[in-house]
Amino acid sequence: MFLRLVADSFGRRPRHKLLTGAALALGMGVATAALSVSLDVGDRLAKEFRSLGANLLVTPQADSLPLEISGVDYRPMNAGAYLPESDLPKLKTIFWHNNIIAFAPVLEVSVGFAPLEAPADTQTGLLHTPVTQVVIGRSILIGTWANNLVSLPDGSRFLTGVDRTNEWWQVDGRWFTDGTKECILGKSFARRAGLKLGDTLRIETPKPGILLTVTGILTSGGTEDDAIVAPMAVAQKLADKPGAYRKLYVSALTKPEDDFARRDPKTFTPAEYDRWFCTPYISSIAFQIQQELTGTDVRVIRRVAEGEGQVLTRVRMLLWLVTGAALLAAALAVGASAAASVIERRTEIGLMKALGAGSGMVGFLLAAEQLLLAFVGGGIGYALGIILARKLGQKIFGAAPEPSFIVFFVVIALAAGVTVLGSALPLRRAARYQPAPILRGE
Amino acid sequence: MAAHYTANRAMFWRILRRLLGANRGRLFVILLALGAGAAVTAALLNLQVDAKRRLTSEFRVFGANVIITPQNLSASPVGNQLLSESLMNKIPSEFEGRPILAAAFLYLVAEASSNTSPTTIQAVVAGTDITRLPQIGAGWKFEPLAPGTGESAPALLTSLSLRCAVGARVAEQLKVIHGAQLSFDNGSKKTSCEVVSVITSGGPEDNHIFMDMPAAQELASLSRRVSLILVSAEGTPGIIERFISTLAKSLPEADVHGIRQFTEGEAKIYNRISGLLTATVGIVLLLTGLCVMAAMTNVAMERKMDVGLMKAIGGSMRRVLRLFLAEAALLGLIGGLIGAALGIILSMGLGKAVFGVAARPRLIVYPVAVALTIIVAILSAFPLRRLASIRPASVFRGEA
Repeated sequence: MFLRLVADSFGRRPRHKLLTGAALALGMGVATAALSVSLDVGDRLAKEFRSLGANLLVTPQADSLPLEISGVDYRPMNAGAYLPESDLPKLKTIFWHNNIIAFAPVLEVSVGFAPLEAPADTQTGLLHTPVTQVVIGRSILIGTWANNLVSLPDGSRFLTGVDRTNEWWQVDGRWFTDGTKECILGKSFARRAGLKLGDTLRIETPKPGILLTVTGILTSGGTEDDAIVAPMAVAQKLADKPGAYRKLYVSALTKPEDDFARRDPKTFTPAEYDRWFCTPYISSIAFQIQQELTGTDVRVIRRVAEGEGQVLTRVRMLLWLVTGAALLAAALAVGASAAASVIERRTEIGLMKALGAGSGMVGFLLAAEQLLLAFVGGGIGYALGIILARKLGQKIFGAAPEPSFIVFFVVIALAAGVTVLGSALPLRRAARYQPAPILRGE
Repeated sequence: MAAHYTANRAMFWRILRRLLGANRGRLFVILLALGAGAAVTAALLNLQVDAKRRLTSEFRVFGANVIITPQNLSASPVGNQLLSESLMNKIPSEFEGRPILAAAFLYLVAEASSNTSPTTIQAVVAGTDITRLPQIGAGWKFEPLAPGTGESAPALLTSLSLRCAVGARVAEQLKVIHGAQLSFDNGSKKTSCEVVSVITSGGPEDNHIFMDMPAAQELASLSRRVSLILVSAEGTPGIIERFISTLAKSLPEADVHGIRQFTEGEAKIYNRISGLLTATVGIVLLLTGLCVMAAMTNVAMERKMDVGLMKAIGGSMRRVLRLFLAEAALLGLIGGLIGAALGIILSMGLGKAVFGVAARPRLIVYPVAVALTIIVAILSAFPLRRLASIRPASVFRGEA
């Protein structure tokens, strides 16, 4: 009988139920979309922040004080310590290796240069027609990886280099190929030296020079605009430091630091230490890199890391608030709709009571109806919201958020809770109804 | 005729009043739905406008994003081309209503030693306005050497004559402790200063010693010259671009350009976040409207009896509909006025929670939110038109 009553109510007033259901589905659709996007947005934005470049800087521990002005180290070549390039694949063996997005080693050499007219053989670096020309100026040559395929200890390969760490570098032409005698020129340097794409450049330290072909012009907005950027091997040869580098930029995905992460790791209990080690805080990633690459000093580039943490925390909070507002609006609208559907059924309630149903029985019946509606409406709303969230994610980040079951349960629970709550108030009043006046139409 | 018209109008309002007063429960439900919709609309609109602006000031934690250097910078050590200090006066303190912060730097390499350590090292000395360091280097950590002195580092940096701040690596190498005296030697010039703060930046600043500009200029024998000027400009990517080109025009003798690492990165992130915010707010608003509409329509469809009665006593459908639309508009107005006011207050609170500063209420948001609510309310009463085909008799027989 109970089921028949419920089924009858749906069957006889389909339009009415459809409208309530539609309000529910729409409301829960908003809730689903907002929740899915909010859950996903932290990771997506953290990736976006990597366009600000490296957040970790690795230098030799036993180094003398760098005399670095505007990004250029003015120490003589033989001063200070160097690090072995062959250790670098170890970076991808740390606990949080998947969070290491990119890294690029750097070796700077102060060189003299002279432009040449004739093109040189890019393989051997030899001139077809020997020309002697005096060195016309001095500059800094930055040796690094452009897009280097690194063989990892586990047998896989990882493509990394300065093209990945410094996304803001804009190269007209193309990047040099690692391991060849090519280079790209900073745009101010190119203007100063009167060089353009395809030209050849002779580079000299006090020792005999190397010929480099210009494959690109770099706009970086930094000191590199006034430098030559060349493959690592070229810089190592010029500096006479085979297999060595001096600075390593690492770009890692991190979790914004909280109060816990700001504490000194030395004061942690073993349990706290494990928690810290197993969370991708920038400090724990720095610590792990330092353990893996011996003799290094790993520093957090605070300007990037702090800024990222602060902005990310704010944006995440903002989105949660918008989500909260969406949930609130959906809940109120659904609640109002549920309340309306109970208020309008006074006659029916009166009749049921006249036939001997208790207030409890009436309430139970109506609540069951509302719950059924909530599950159906909530389910449809969830499907709707997932589609919406996918569209939204695709449009803004180019990647859709994964549908999550937590969201499904939250949405269904919310739908049920809100409809029951919305119906509860009018139901309480319905309990006080006297059947006779209602049936008389008073 | 006029009397008839007046009486008609009086009747119209009377019916309207009765319609509203007839069922308190229903009135409450409708106002709740409309008010909630209006509140969310107003709160989100206000917050969205405010949040985008706040976000751009939030980006200043990345520090300077514009750099002014001498033209044709040559790569010789401690560039022999320098800027005149007077350029600083040409940088505005505000651009399109957004604050601009600038600091000049003069770099030189000098022999530095401390009274706490026997070693003498070569270090980069940077002359600047030390009081501005905490703002230009927003992400840096300033550690007063003596813990518990009560003064925060930025405060310590505000009152100094011959005090200096040292980078973390310099401090390590010179084993600097609180109150250490640093002595500098640059050929014939000598000077000394007292260490008040240690700076950790993770960047090259860790290798620098910062001292006041006049002292550095004296040490380098370069009076009124600076190596470069760092500017931290606030605003949307468009504003920053305009600022750079304006500044470049007013400083033809120097090279003004954005630090691409930050201008590019910030622009990218700003566009993403503001796109996300606009899309989320847009969708929430749209669906809130639909939700409210569905709830309202639900209520409106229950008015069959009323419509039937009005038609039975001779009301034309147009007049009946006008009555209900007027009712809906009135409800939308009331719900909107209350809801939007609540929403704006809510958004101020939310702004405070997120950015620590209460969102400024924007007056334009209020009428927009109220108008939107009225439109939604009227739209949701429109399905009543379907009742035009209704036959009063069948309504009363309880058939339809």
